[in-house]
Amino acid sequence: MAAPSTPLKNTVKGYATYMGREGHYAFLLHRLTGLGVLLFLTIHILDTATVYFYPSLYEHAIELYRATPFMLGEIGLLFAVIYHGVNGLRIAVTDMWMPKRWAIEKQRKAVRLTLVVAILLWTPGALVMLYNLLLHNFGVDLLAMLPFGK
Amino acid sequence: MIMASKASVKPSFETTAWRFMRYSGILLIPLAWFHVYLQDVIVGVHAIDIDYVAVRLADTGWVIYNFLLLGFAFAHGMYGLRQVMFDLVHKESTRRVLSILMLIFWLVVTAIGATALAMGARPELVQ
Repeated sequence: MAAPSTPLKNTVKGYATYMGREGHYAFLLHRLTGLGVLLFLTIHILDTATVYFYPSLYEHAIELYRATPFMLGEIGLLFAVIYHGVNGLRIAVTDMWMPKRWAIEKQRKAVRLTLVVAILLWTPGALVMLYNLLLHNFGVDLLAMLPFGK
Repeated sequence: MIMASKASVKPSFETTAWRFMRYSGILLIPLAWFHVYLQDVIVGVHAIDIDYVAVRLADTGWVIYNFLLLGFAFAHGMYGLRQVMFDLVHKESTRRVLSILMLIFWLVVTAIGATALAMGARPELVQ
């Protein structure tokens, strides 16, 4: 006999199998980036609070953030913060000023546009963070490698 | 025709919370983006230490900026988490228990963050 269905199972199954294309992916990405940012934010508030509560611990926290896996995570965090904002703005602006644009074909285009805008806003920051990662953690100075570099 | 917007109904908690999500979200776009771009991209984690934080927390403008971030971003995130939970849990009593736990968690973490912001860094205590 199949296991009984619960709201939890039904919802998770719906997240995975609903075939809503762009709108569906935007919803999932909005949730994922929101939860990711919240996880980081909670840790970030608590570790930064050590500057007052336990100053000796702060240096250890910062050292962790400088580690390669964390720096890669921060590049992802930058994307999450930007995407969540751009997508949220799409929803707010459509709702408040152009509700006719809720038409599904228009939203499919709008969702694609939010992704393009988010990637454009993220790329410069991501490149700088990647440069810093290679410079500080691997001793590779990408700028010095350019023919017109230092 | 009765205009829905003219009806005077006292907004419920959920209505007020929904409005908070929308307006805090719009406000967080400049606030959070600038914060992350400044600290993670322009300054970078390798240039951040407790002395850097101490200098910033000695500046009233940045303290206010950080209070706004703490107040809006964390509340926005915790209420969003509650919405995700409502999607996954349909039983009223479980929803209530989890909502109260989230409320307590939100208050405690916000209080810890606010205390540190108000008091500032203490680099002289680093051993």
